[in-house]
Amino acid sequence: MKQNNKIEEMLSSLDGCSKATAPDFFYTRLKARMDKQSAPAPQSWVMRPAFAIVAIVAVLLINAIVLLRQTKTTDNPVVSDTDTYQSVAMEYSLNDNTTPYELIADK
Amino acid sequence: MNEFELIEGLKNGDETAFRYLVTTYQDRIYNTVIGIVQNAEDAEDVAQEVFIQVFRSIHSFKGESKLSTWMYRIATTRSLDLLRSRKSKKRFGFIQRLFGDGTEPLYELPDFNHPGVELDKKENAAKLFKAISQLPENQKIAFTLHKLEDLSYQEVSEVMNTTVAAVESLMHRARLNLRKLLEKESG
Repeated sequence: MKQNNKIEEMLSSLDGCSKATAPDFFYTRLKARMDKQSAPAPQSWVMRPAFAIVAIVAVLLINAIVLLRQTKTTDNPVVSDTDTYQSVAMEYSLNDNTTPYELIADK
Repeated sequence: MNEFELIEGLKNGDETAFRYLVTTYQDRIYNTVIGIVQNAEDAEDVAQEVFIQVFRSIHSFKGESKLSTWMYRIATTRSLDLLRSRKSKKRFGFIQRLFGDGTEPLYELPDFNHPGVELDKKENAAKLFKAISQLPENQKIAFTLHKLEDLSYQEVSEVMNTTVAAVESLMHRARLNLRKLLEKESG
């Protein structure tokens, strides 16, 4: 019985409760928050134009170096194409005038 | 400024209209939110978010309900979002404490003292608020809107987009559950 009364007291503790009011300067703080949200966000350094220009120049430079190296290699070949063909022909006995049919006939 | 003029002003991005909206509804929204989130700082944060959302989505307000009904709906939704986020932080915090060095913050809030409760009822009210925080979401919303914000069952049903009979049922179940929780707490 006693506990029942206690529970009833707790359940009715909000009777006559006045409403909470918003804190002072609520509008001021709200407005400040909205102004902050609508201000443009600072750009990440990756998005800056200077970074983009530097990156493009670096790529072009690397391409130029690779192209120049390629060109040098083409102008001064270490081994000529003719030499290469000759060495392959010697290895497979392709220089001989004898044909495989003649070789069999000789036998 | 009547409601039509207010809505038109908000749609035009008029600051005077927005200021009028905030000053007219700030206490109602704050009182609703604080009853659900049970923390003054969080309540102010959420209340601000409510007004920001109203300002940004006023064009989607079709006028099928009163502006206040729509705002109460946003307030209760945002408040529940905060409670869910607190719950998931609490779960994650438990895992952090298992592997951490013991300096992680606890997510258990202290007993809530509603600023409007009479002095001699504060202790009982704190226990009741603790029990309210354990109610299922729908019962919590219905109880808070009716008991703290003094909305009628009809108004509560409009906010919750349900019937008056459903609200009556929610209130009945809320009271039964609160009684059980308070009995358990009293030992």
